Amino acid sequence: MVTDEALMRAVAAGDERALETLCGRWERPLHQFLARYTGGRDVDDLYQETWLRVVRAADRFDPTRRFSTWLFQIAINLTRDWRRRPPPEPVDPMTLDAATAVAPSPDAALDAQRLLAALPEAQRAVVVLRYYHDLGEEQVAEILGCPRGTVKSRLHQALARLTAIAKASR
Amino acid sequence: MTTCDDVLATLLLGRPLDAAAEAHVRACDRCAAEAPVVGRVAGALATFAPPPPGPGLGAAVLRAARPVLRQARRARWAAVARALAASLVPLPLIVLLDAAIVRALRSALAVVLPSGLSTYLAFNYAALLALLLAITYAAVPLLVERQARGRWMESHG
Repeated sequence: MVTDEALMRAVAAGDERALETLCGRWERPLHQFLARYTGGRDVDDLYQETWLRVVRAADRFDPTRRFSTWLFQIAINLTRDWRRRPPPEPVDPMTLDAATAVAPSPDAALDAQRLLAALPEAQRAVVVLRYYHDLGEEQVAEILGCPRGTVKSRLHQALARLTAIAKASR
Repeated sequence: MTTCDDVLATLLLGRPLDAAAEAHVRACDRCAAEAPVVGRVAGALATFAPPPPGPGLGAAVLRAARPVLRQARRARWAAVARALAASLVPLPLIVLLDAAIVRALRSALAVVLPSGLSTYLAFNYAALLALLLAITYAAVPLLVERQARGRWMESHG
């Protein structure tokens, strides 16, 4: 199987099929990441814009780096820019409308979208990348451009916040 | 950060605890009390399954990216064409030089070897030179790409 990095080289040379393959591989992970990270706002627009940035910057992609790291980095930076529009975070989890995208939870008092929305952006990024995308501390640190220790401490802070909400919702 | 935070974070991420961490949970009042709450949080997070991307989204991305890809293709071919044009300039001189070498070699060999054999050896040498020349020119597009990448790395650290 052709690696993502080799496909990126082809994209940089203007190969549409390579882009199609790459989009196919990363469509679901990227879309889900954006949905969880933004709480479902403008996900399709962000998704499309992320790929456009990938294509525009393809000749600057360093093939010694992992494509997934670069892709999530672009998505996060783009989302930050996007947030200059009225930002919904962090919000009071009790005031958020019921999430349409969340499956019925066995624990009716807690829902994932409310929990994620209650986290500051930096902590939410760590939780989404670590929990849902199963990325290691090192890769998350690279994506967020911070030391590994910061990723760890943000996860601990997020954990404290989430457990406090869970206790309060009992 | 304390070991408690690490253990609870491991539980949150749904990773298995090693023996030492399990022993810690049993012995630590805080972890014993918080582990079920963390379990509730992890369980709630697991229910967040965003809807899949719409069927036309991939096609929309490709449509929007098409002009950028076209531009990239054009830029690449322009760079290759420039490099090929530059490398073709000394080609006549190289061919003339090679022809002179082959002729001289054939004449020198003809002094000591039968004419047929010296022609055969000179032909083999000419074929080798032609092959080397073809490989050199075939490498031009690759070199153009490497050079472009090298320039980018230099300017972006």
